[in-house]
Amino acid sequence: MTAGLNLMLVASAVLFAVGAFAVVARRSAIGMLMGTQFMFAAGALAFVAFARFGRGGAPVDAGPAIAFFVAITAAAELAIGSAMTVVLYRASRAFFLDSDGG
Amino acid sequence: MPLIGALPQQLSSASPITSAPLVLFVYLVLILMLIAAMASVLLRNTLWAIGSFALSMALLALLYLTIAPLLLFAVQLVVYTTVSGGLLLGLLRLTSGLERPPISPFAHRWIVGGAVTAALGALLVLIAAATSWPMASTIQKGVLAVPYSFTRTLIDSYVVGLATLAVLIASAALGSALLLLAPALHSPRGGGERTGRR
Repeated sequence: MTAGLNLMLVASAVLFAVGAFAVVARRSAIGMLMGTQFMFAAGALAFVAFARFGRGGAPVDAGPAIAFFVAITAAAELAIGSAMTVVLYRASRAFFLDSDGG
Repeated sequence: MPLIGALPQQLSSASPITSAPLVLFVYLVLILMLIAAMASVLLRNTLWAIGSFALSMALLALLYLTIAPLLLFAVQLVVYTTVSGGLLLGLLRLTSGLERPPISPFAHRWIVGGAVTAALGALLVLIAAATSWPMASTIQKGVLAVPYSFTRTLIDSYVVGLATLAVLIASAALGSALLLLAPALHSPRGGGERTGRR
């Protein structure tokens, strides 16, 4: 039994699907924010997996570097999203993002 | 003068992880991470959902420990797990407050579940502390395959990216502050504070 590129890519795809489901199906802004974080993390995991297990051609540090940038960008996105959620809550006293949720 | 991204670096290797304990560890971490991610999406209670989210991100950091440089593990642990969890909890405190979950955390099944989780976590920490596993295993078997400094590569090869990142973070901080300082708008659906602009 080995752990290679296929395993990591499957895990990345499942994580991305979980995040996409949260963004599409959840009405709560917090749930949607967590979904976007999962999608970011899934992309970063795929980059790291390709850099570690890919068949050459790319520097071994390229994938982790992209994942590093993705992580920081996701944190900035979360900060903005949190502030927007607070503003939304102040206006409607709810976290719901659809028109009939509040 | 070499172009950015064209600096001579070690190319990636295609060899998968074959060490049996390490493979089991990777599988275990992946399964737990996906379960925690699904739980965070499906749980109705926001507090528990945020807890599951932080757990899944911590497990992803643990996965990075075996296949990525240490700096990425640290960034994942600090940024995703701590900062993201903290931001979401802070968001909850600022808005609806940290309400008690519908099922008391001190119910019998939660106490048993917490005790089992704590015991397994303590066992994992004990094994890691006693044997330096999985780090020692990965380094000894050459699985980590990153012999030079990842930080040095970042500074040497990705200067523009780092500068852009700094601008991005500053913009996000400024935008968040402006959003939070702005007066509340009147909602057409009713409710909300009425102290702001109409």
